[in-house]
Amino acid sequence: MASHGVARTTGPRTEERRKQDLQKIDKYRALEDGIREEVSNKTYSPKTFQLTTKLLELNPEYYTIWNARRRCLTSGLLSRPSASSSRSRGLSSGSPTNTSSTSYADALSSSSAATTPLDPAPRTTGRSGTTADEAAEDKKYSNEKENLEKDVGFLKEELVWTARLLKGFPKCYWIWNYRLWLLGEATKRFPVPTSRRIWENELALVSQMLTKDNRNFHAWGYRRFVVGALEREELGGKSMAESEFEYTTKMIHWSLSNFSAWHNRSKLIPRLLGERGADDKKRQKFLDAELDLVREALNVGPEDQSLWYYHQFLILNLINDVKQATIVPNITVEQKSEYVQREIDDIKDFLEDYDDIKWIYEALLEYTLALAKLESREATTSEKEDLKTWLTKLRELDPMRKGRWDDVEKEYGLN
Amino acid sequence: MMTEQLPDEMELATAAHVKYIQSLDTKKDEYDYWLTEHLRLNGLYWGLTGLHLMGHEDALPRPETVDFVLSCQHENGGFGAAPGHDAHMLYTVSAVQILVMVDALDELETRGPGKAKVGQFISSLQNPSTGIFAGDEWGEEDTRFLYGALNALSLLGMTSLVNIDKAVEYVVACGNFDGGYGVRPGAESHAGQILTCVTSLAIAGRLDLVDIDKLGRWLSERQLPCGGLNGRPEKREDVCYSWWVLASIEIIGRTHWIDKEKLVHFILECQDTESGGLSDRPNNMVDVWHTCFGIAGLSLLNYPGLAPVDPVYFRYALPVPTMTQMGLDIFAVSETPVKPGPRVEYVFLRCINSPVSSEWKE
Ligand SMILES: [Zn+2]
Repeated sequence: MASHGVARTTGPRTEERRKQDLQKIDKYRALEDGIREEVSNKTYSPKTFQLTTKLLELNPEYYTIWNARRRCLTSGLLSRPSASSSRSRGLSSGSPTNTSSTSYADALSSSSAATTPLDPAPRTTGRSGTTADEAAEDKKYSNEKENLEKDVGFLKEELVWTARLLKGFPKCYWIWNYRLWLLGEATKRFPVPTSRRIWENELALVSQMLTKDNRNFHAWGYRRFVVGALEREELGGKSMAESEFEYTTKMIHWSLSNFSAWHNRSKLIPRLLGERGADDKKRQKFLDAELDLVREALNVGPEDQSLWYYHQFLILNLINDVKQATIVPNITVEQKSEYVQREIDDIKDFLEDYDDIKWIYEALLEYTLALAKLESREATTSEKEDLKTWLTKLRELDPMRKGRWDDVEKEYGLN
Repeated sequence: MMTEQLPDEMELATAAHVKYIQSLDTKKDEYDYWLTEHLRLNGLYWGLTGLHLMGHEDALPRPETVDFVLSCQHENGGFGAAPGHDAHMLYTVSAVQILVMVDALDELETRGPGKAKVGQFISSLQNPSTGIFAGDEWGEEDTRFLYGALNALSLLGMTSLVNIDKAVEYVVACGNFDGGYGVRPGAESHAGQILTCVTSLAIAGRLDLVDIDKLGRWLSERQLPCGGLNGRPEKREDVCYSWWVLASIEIIGRTHWIDKEKLVHFILECQDTESGGLSDRPNNMVDVWHTCFGIAGLSLLNYPGLAPVDPVYFRYALPVPTMTQMGLDIFAVSETPVKPGPRVEYVFLRCINSPVSSEWKE
């Protein structure tokens, strides 16, 4: 219904193609009818489950079929989550260590719990009472163990199968959703080490996906979820800010234009510095290193927007009052001015090698105006002359955004 | 505008597009028709919107339209993509929008479980602690659903059912340093999510929370030399992204920061002038999604002969002049205010925003 990047074909379908289509439609609709019949009878049997496999391999966008598959799992294919001990462990309790990616996982575990049929009778794993009771308890215990092994195997198979589907449809929302739901079920049912291994494998998978398409925003979002889960206490986790920061470094070195990686880096830094307990000196050193990194990259590729956006992030974070997320919270206005002035001077040097890159003029314009604002003054006469020159260059290099240059000219009296 | 100087082949091929949209439901012998059934109700909405904007609202029969919409409804009030498909926010929003568009909201009462049930379905999906909305009982959360919920509830006059302040808080938490918004707190800015966040804030009357200059700069940089717009830095142009960006930049009153003529030209280049329909880029396969958003883009750019489109959908049946009275002053300063189209009898602005789809891939 929405095709992207598919070349237009001309002329009507051949008769042969039409026949092929009709055959495919018959097969597809027969499958669909089969599932609908089972679902309307509320039969969520292994047979229904297999039918959903077949249909979803033909069409993974069919969300209703994913829902039927979930119901198959919760209506018998998986054992009922035990009310006891380590196995009933949702992600919904406890305080998250990473507030940026909590609620979806919460919702997943709570909503799936709501659709799971209630346990028929409360059970305990306490080992008390008579010998006969003990024997019954032992039996129950070994049953539970068996069920657990079966469930682990089953969920792993599901994960392998959906991973294969994702390779063919890496941007299908419903597959990613279903996987997250599976992970929520695993967390609810399995002991911590088992769940943790499953989530760790997930991180490996998402890294693999990002190697194939390093901007896939489903994959980046999914990565933040997986990391958020792995960081949680319930899964025996701790902050992964350091390793995730390293991951962005790796991705950036691989491709400097990867704004998704730069973006993730910008979100990790404040947390990272907090966890390192970095003092003011260390924080400044860190900022210097980041500025060096992006400036060096800009020196090689000044036409790369991603780099300019990251540079802008660093400067805005420096000069604006950003609550909590500040890189260098305790520096004076004079120090801020020094930083901005140094960046302006360095960017001016770029002009010797590149005089036709609009981003350079845009940055100069923006940072010069920001500097004046920071020092609570109007632009000086010589700054104004520079600003006018850069604006003229911008009009020449970027006529599409003429309206914007008009507004800047008006706002700062640069005519 | 420049369209008067355009060569013939660069005019909107209205007749072909109308025919194309009409033909969509006759392709039952094509495999693709069945593979896309999970989008049927969205597709009907996109098609109908395109027809309304082109002034051919009668090109699809109204009774069948209403019958089909109602046949997708579940007892819980929610709608699925087609009969037999599970209820989900995406389709419930489309259903409400279609019923409003064909003036058949009352049929919810006479032929279905009632308007109140629909409102209940939508409001039950809000997460009370964070303010975000899920798509359905399985819990996927996304600002697409938040926007869809606010949009549909405002059409139904039921926004009081949900916690708007919490929803606004969530949207604000999705904001980034570049002025844009991501799909969730922590996520990268993305033109589609920006539209859902900006429109949500507009519906909540909180556009004051948007950093207009920063966001305007980011949005204006989406325009590429070909005239088309992309959805994120270093991505390719696409007609549907042109709409997300254009509508957003229009809402914040900075449309004059892009080259409108070049964008008109790009959209027109994506037409199939013979068989009708528009595609993502020139000479690609057409579909109803790009057809609808291409035409909507042209309408927002004041392309002659098209009915006006409201980039926010602030409230149903809102005559143009009262928009500023409603507190949406931003339109008063806009360089390109939403102006009444050429057809005077078309007094009501219609919402075309249905970015609430599973079709964002970039
Ligand atoms: Zn598109």
